[in-house]
Amino acid sequence: MFTFKGGIYPPEHKELSRDFQITDAFPSSKTVTIPVTMGGAPNECVVKVGDRVVKGQIIAQSDKYMSAPVHASVTGTVKKIEPHMVTGNTESPCITIVSDGSDETAYMTPLDPFSCDVKDALKRIKDAGIVGMGGASFPTHVKLNPPAGTEIEYVILNAAECEPYLTIDYRTLKEDADKVIDGLAIELRLMGAHGIIALESNKADLLGVLNDAISKTGYGDDMEVRIVKTKYPQGCEKNLTLALLGREIPAGGLPAAAGCLISNVGTVCAISDAFRLGKPLIERPLTISGGACETPKNIRVPVGTNVGDLIPEVIQLKRGEVAKIISGGPMMGFAMTNAMFPITKGTSGVLFLTKKETYIVDESPCIGCASCIRACPMKLAPVMMARTIRTSDFEQAKKYGLMDCIECGSCSYVCPAHIRLVQRFRYGKNVVRTRTAEAKAKAAAAASTGGTK
Amino acid sequence: MAESDKNEIYLSPSPHFANGVTTQKIMSVVIIALLPECVYGVVIFGIRALITILVSVAGAVCFEALFQKLTKHDITVSDCSAAITGILLALVLPPTTPVWQVLLGDAFAVIVAKGFFGGLGANVWNPALTGRAFLFVSFPAALGASWLDPATDAVSSATVLSQIKEGSFIADSGTYLQYFLGNRAGCIGETSILLILISFAFLTLTRIIDWRAPLTMVATVALLTWATGGDVLMAMLAGGLLFGATFMVTDYATAPVTGPGRLVFGAGCGLITFLIRKFGGYPEGVMFSILIMNSLSAFLNKLTVTKYGYGRRAKKPVQARKTVTSFDVKNAEKEASK
Repeated sequence: MFTFKGGIYPPEHKELSRDFQITDAFPSSKTVTIPVTMGGAPNECVVKVGDRVVKGQIIAQSDKYMSAPVHASVTGTVKKIEPHMVTGNTESPCITIVSDGSDETAYMTPLDPFSCDVKDALKRIKDAGIVGMGGASFPTHVKLNPPAGTEIEYVILNAAECEPYLTIDYRTLKEDADKVIDGLAIELRLMGAHGIIALESNKADLLGVLNDAISKTGYGDDMEVRIVKTKYPQGCEKNLTLALLGREIPAGGLPAAAGCLISNVGTVCAISDAFRLGKPLIERPLTISGGACETPKNIRVPVGTNVGDLIPEVIQLKRGEVAKIISGGPMMGFAMTNAMFPITKGTSGVLFLTKKETYIVDESPCIGCASCIRACPMKLAPVMMARTIRTSDFEQAKKYGLMDCIECGSCSYVCPAHIRLVQRFRYGKNVVRTRTAEAKAKAAAAASTGGTK
Repeated sequence: MAESDKNEIYLSPSPHFANGVTTQKIMSVVIIALLPECVYGVVIFGIRALITILVSVAGAVCFEALFQKLTKHDITVSDCSAAITGILLALVLPPTTPVWQVLLGDAFAVIVAKGFFGGLGANVWNPALTGRAFLFVSFPAALGASWLDPATDAVSSATVLSQIKEGSFIADSGTYLQYFLGNRAGCIGETSILLILISFAFLTLTRIIDWRAPLTMVATVALLTWATGGDVLMAMLAGGLLFGATFMVTDYATAPVTGPGRLVFGAGCGLITFLIRKFGGYPEGVMFSILIMNSLSAFLNKLTVTKYGYGRRAKKPVQARKTVTSFDVKNAEKEASK
């Protein structure tokens, strides 16, 4: 079975929600709070308070190439345009729309992805506001247009879904395999590449469904399903290329440097919808789970739905048991101060964890057990990074791999002293980036004044 | 109000999961691994060994608590690390060591070698070995000058290692077996190679210790002994080599954390052990070799494996794709039709 060295085996907890079909849900307040920017360069709002907007209409965009427009996910009236708490506990400009219950839509006209021009196809993907739906929210049209001179040999559909609890990719593949295969085929056509669908072994039951869908479409020679070992962080693109192809993505480089392009399951579905239905990315499926959830489930909601507005109609919680609200998975997700934050294009799950499930303990001194070194999927030395950051020796920390850290959390997971290693590394990276930028600015200033002297 | 607002919500950086292993649990497993040596020590050396072990553990724990109280730190003896220091010190002392000397060794180990350096995880030298070294140089008469033979209950001055040094050792197969099983003169815990191997296997399988440093240490001693025409088997069976390799070289705080660092660390310990045994003033060199190498741990940590994205696999050879996909064909046809 394909895998990589290092990594961890956290309890999966996928059984909580894996057998629940994706159901459509709508906020009880009939209100959505859509962040103006969801991936790429900051957008400008193109609607005003009081405007009537139609589902699918662009409400924010930017003229920058590296950006993705945002569309109204419901038909109704713009109520507010002001900062609102988003994932990460920060405030970000959001457009609040109150739905008027109308079914009116303003979708684009369908486009045949296999006969249209590659340029038009990329434009369609941009116009549909498609970004990576795994969390990073990188604009997809940029990803599908790799820098000149790099050849994409493989498009990997990342269906590893290695984060515990999350089952949304699994459900999507199970319920909508045809759409996934179609979306992947569109990407393959654009890249002229071979497709690999990577499934973790705990989802091996999908093998039949996927192979059927592939043979039905006649893409049998162009794509294949490969089973990878169930292990965290198998779904990280760096570990995935290593496991599947024995290739490492060079430090600081994009997957394209290793001839690979990695796509999320939700993203390829959105691509298929954008061409076949002309529908922009205005809704997304996600997993609602965790021990404090009365009924863990998989739902599909309009982008911008406030999680709090789904309680208690859609999400029933065990009274007084919620200790952590997490946007994303338990390994890399954000702990939120409350549930009033919008589901964005990159939200793959919202978890309500009990105190027993999560760990709430104090740090103790590092004993030098080196468990973190064994667990690191990037072959770094987390303990030494933490020690050198403590003494502000960032140069040495870089040698130990500070800037190569993917923040997967494997080191913190195994640390017997419960040291918040990932937090230390985020801090360290931030310092290094700030210093590099300052040094650059200084050098530039010196260069410009140097001429006048 | 959303219902979640009635809950006590915690915030923390990711990950929000842990595997539940704690420092205390790791230390407890090490104590379990040390129990066979303790029991066997008591079996062959009798009540004196039991008293030494109990006094040493109690002393180490009390001194640590006392030191932390006096220096106004949180008292952390419940992490079991002081207890391990106590057990380890007792197991590397001869059963004839006076009780007051044991306590003195404890005090030196947990206060001077550990507390002064910042406590758990911050010490540079292995506390138990530092305590032993302190006793060794302070009371040479009690440590190492004479040894209790469990078979005869008599005290003699000669050990196999000193005989090897003097060249008066004559090997016979019975001696090897006796040394493997452990019914011989020596420190309380170091005699039974069989039990030490069992502990080693247990600790390695539970992934508490890393095989690297112990293996390179023993291998280096064996190789150098063989190369100089010595008795390889006896070099491993006699003295404290295997005990040191299993329990002292693998001490978390005082050994390197990186894989290559540990390999070199073990090899260095083996080299110095061999040099002291062969050319030094003492018949045994395990203790000093480990203490000397402890000093180098911080430097050896600079030895690391190649990180992801820097190695051979990242430098992908430029190659043409093996297969032409049907999408290539379609795209090419489209280009041609233009």
